[in-house]
Amino acid sequence: MKKHHENPDSCTTCTSCVVHCPVTQAVREFRGPKLAGPAGERFRLLEDEYDAALQYCSNCKNCDISCPSQVPISTLNMKARAKYYKTHKQPFRDWILSHGEQMAKMASLTPGLANLGMNNFISRAVLKGLGVSDKAPLPEYASETFSKQFKRIKQKPSANKAIFYPGCFVNYNQPEVGLDVVAVLQANDFEVIVPEDLVCCSSPLVVNGYMDEAEANARKNIGILEKYVQMGYPIITACTSCGLMLKQEYQELFEIEGVEQVASRIYDIAEFLLELYDEGNLNTNFVKQNGKFMYHAPCHLRVQGIGKPSLELLRMLPGIEVIDADAGCCGISGNYGFKEDKYDIAMAIGSNLFETIKASGIKTVLSECGTCRQQIGHGAGVKTVHPISLVRAAYGNK
Amino acid sequence: MRTNDVIVIGGGLAGLTAAITAAGRGKSVRLMTSGTGALAIGGGAIDILGYQEDGTLVKNARTGLSSLSPEHPYSKAGSQAIEEAVAFFLTLCQEEGFSYTGSLDQIQWLPTALGTLKPSCLVPESMDITPVKQADHVIVVGFTRLKDYFPELIIKGLSRIPGYQKDYEQVTVDPGFTGGRDVTTVDIARWLDTLQGQQACREQLQHHIKPGSAVIIPPVLGSRPSYAVRDTLEKILRCKFVETTVMPTAVVGLRLRAMLLARAKKLGVTIMEQAHVTRVVKDGNSVTSVVTSNIDRERAYQTKSVILATGGFYGGGIVADINSVNEAILNLPVAAPADREDWGTLKLFSGSAQPFAKIGVAVDSSLRPVNAQGQVLLENVYIAGRNLAGYDYCLEKSGNGVALVTGYKAGLSC
Repeated sequence: MKKHHENPDSCTTCTSCVVHCPVTQAVREFRGPKLAGPAGERFRLLEDEYDAALQYCSNCKNCDISCPSQVPISTLNMKARAKYYKTHKQPFRDWILSHGEQMAKMASLTPGLANLGMNNFISRAVLKGLGVSDKAPLPEYASETFSKQFKRIKQKPSANKAIFYPGCFVNYNQPEVGLDVVAVLQANDFEVIVPEDLVCCSSPLVVNGYMDEAEANARKNIGILEKYVQMGYPIITACTSCGLMLKQEYQELFEIEGVEQVASRIYDIAEFLLELYDEGNLNTNFVKQNGKFMYHAPCHLRVQGIGKPSLELLRMLPGIEVIDADAGCCGISGNYGFKEDKYDIAMAIGSNLFETIKASGIKTVLSECGTCRQQIGHGAGVKTVHPISLVRAAYGNK
Repeated sequence: MRTNDVIVIGGGLAGLTAAITAAGRGKSVRLMTSGTGALAIGGGAIDILGYQEDGTLVKNARTGLSSLSPEHPYSKAGSQAIEEAVAFFLTLCQEEGFSYTGSLDQIQWLPTALGTLKPSCLVPESMDITPVKQADHVIVVGFTRLKDYFPELIIKGLSRIPGYQKDYEQVTVDPGFTGGRDVTTVDIARWLDTLQGQQACREQLQHHIKPGSAVIIPPVLGSRPSYAVRDTLEKILRCKFVETTVMPTAVVGLRLRAMLLARAKKLGVTIMEQAHVTRVVKDGNSVTSVVTSNIDRERAYQTKSVILATGGFYGGGIVADINSVNEAILNLPVAAPADREDWGTLKLFSGSAQPFAKIGVAVDSSLRPVNAQGQVLLENVYIAGRNLAGYDYCLEKSGNGVALVTGYKAGLSC
């Protein structure tokens, strides 16, 4: 049997997942992960039974985190949703939200105009008409993509090479995070390679049921990354949802040759740096910084089983204090919280986190996930930063 | 190199207690969990010992403990560890604002959703049955559409028990939930976390309350480890609430787990969720690192000692297939009757211990695993909780008690 099998009968109906599901807590119409996932799957195996409440699942994976039997509950939901849309019409809104890469490519031609175009009230009204909430601020596009900026960096050459998978959010919205990753790896004597032709990890495609396109992206990415893995290079991510998709969800969803080899070499940037530390190879010439920060662990990190490597790393940096918010899901779940009919649910889910942040009086929150940062900024009114930016600052911003 | 003084495998009551105890001694602790376990959905009361192995009721936990077999985990841990663990737990709860009541010298009888009384030992203040005993007028509250909860059953059952013939009144509170999902105690507890919920509940109850009334209610007075919801309602309604013990999901376990996690966090315990431990690396008779195996790859974490709190058959700590029975991670020997026919007595509810329930890892007085000859197999591994041999928690009513005591002992020994 595969390590992550899909047998719904592994579910003992213990209800742990229902108790820990943030969507179940926020909305009564959702029947909960147990019924939507493994219990529903038993019916779906018998006949084409679809539960409309399945639409409420945000794929945040708290059900998987709480399951004592390692049932991939959220993936069962995503597969069922995709199957449904094979025979049912899907809103254009879902296409827009799951094709951020295409949208961003268009926007990156004229980023200033695109931001102007996306954020003015006429565009928001049009988007609202399509089902995108006008209350959730959309991430702004950067004036120049990470890929373009990366090409201009004059790296210190090294025999140590690392592959960086930037992902859409870093590439199109916050390239500075990617630049920080490169700088930190350079400070640790790694030369960074960013392969051309990598595409969206497909996380937004999977949650909206575009499974064929998701698989095509997965095949393309694995094909590219596999070559580098064969050369012995590690693959670094700085977005926890991209990382999870590349190493776990591809295996749960698709049969792709080479996927396991690639998975075995995917590292979260902080995890990678901690391994260097364990080997005695981390550059620890950190300059002292000041400040008090709160850290939010994305759900898609928590489900990876690697703990909270950024938190462990940040606590090695001199002068700063980092408090773990430990206050649950922020609610955004990729593009879930941008949907008109899900906005209030997403805000209700995140309310405990927002209150925790506000009560702390801390003004800057650290988190690896781009949309988590977006949602936290919106819900708690604070500045948000990727943890790697603090690490780069600890190297004197070189 | 990051070093761990101890890696605790398992995030149930035994694992959390061990992690907190060790961290409280200044040890660097990494806690690895796989799923949230039964603690979060369980009843949250600490049963120490209700019945002897032959099914006879103990006078109290202390006298019962003194007559256990030497193979019982309590006997292995020793009476001093039991006394200390109880004191440690009661102090911890008080400090965290979620006090428990009880002692080894008395049985705490808990009212169940079936209208029976169940013997326990350390229970949340809100489950102390004293107000029911003292009151003449007892309101038994149910909630609209709450699954598996029938106030009439509670009234019928309690009325038959000497000392509980009261003026009972049944009241149903409607939380006004929409949506097609079953209503659970967790839903109601989260509703009562809110001011609107408290107000609506109060309005529906207040006309039934008389001076000195006691109110029997399912465990719904808030989802968090605090008595704030109960205190607010008691103050306004001028009555005493007693929460019953129910089938999972039972809310009290959720509160207890949240409290223990908060304490562990304060003590600097590094918690790793979804860290599926599959094996260890050994050097002679010691474990040097613990290896997780997730979908992507294995990862090794160095440690000076290990506390194994992975549960029994249900939790996955002990695994049986057609021909073998093993401890799942270290492949420690597990003593079990050779013939499968002898694993169970034919009558499931026979009133005596089931052999299969007593299957587990045998240990020495420090809770280190031993072979059939009693020799220690691994010098720096300590076993805590349900994967220990020699007790039938279900019959004895000792599950959380053994987890607490052996978790505490392991946290001291490591």
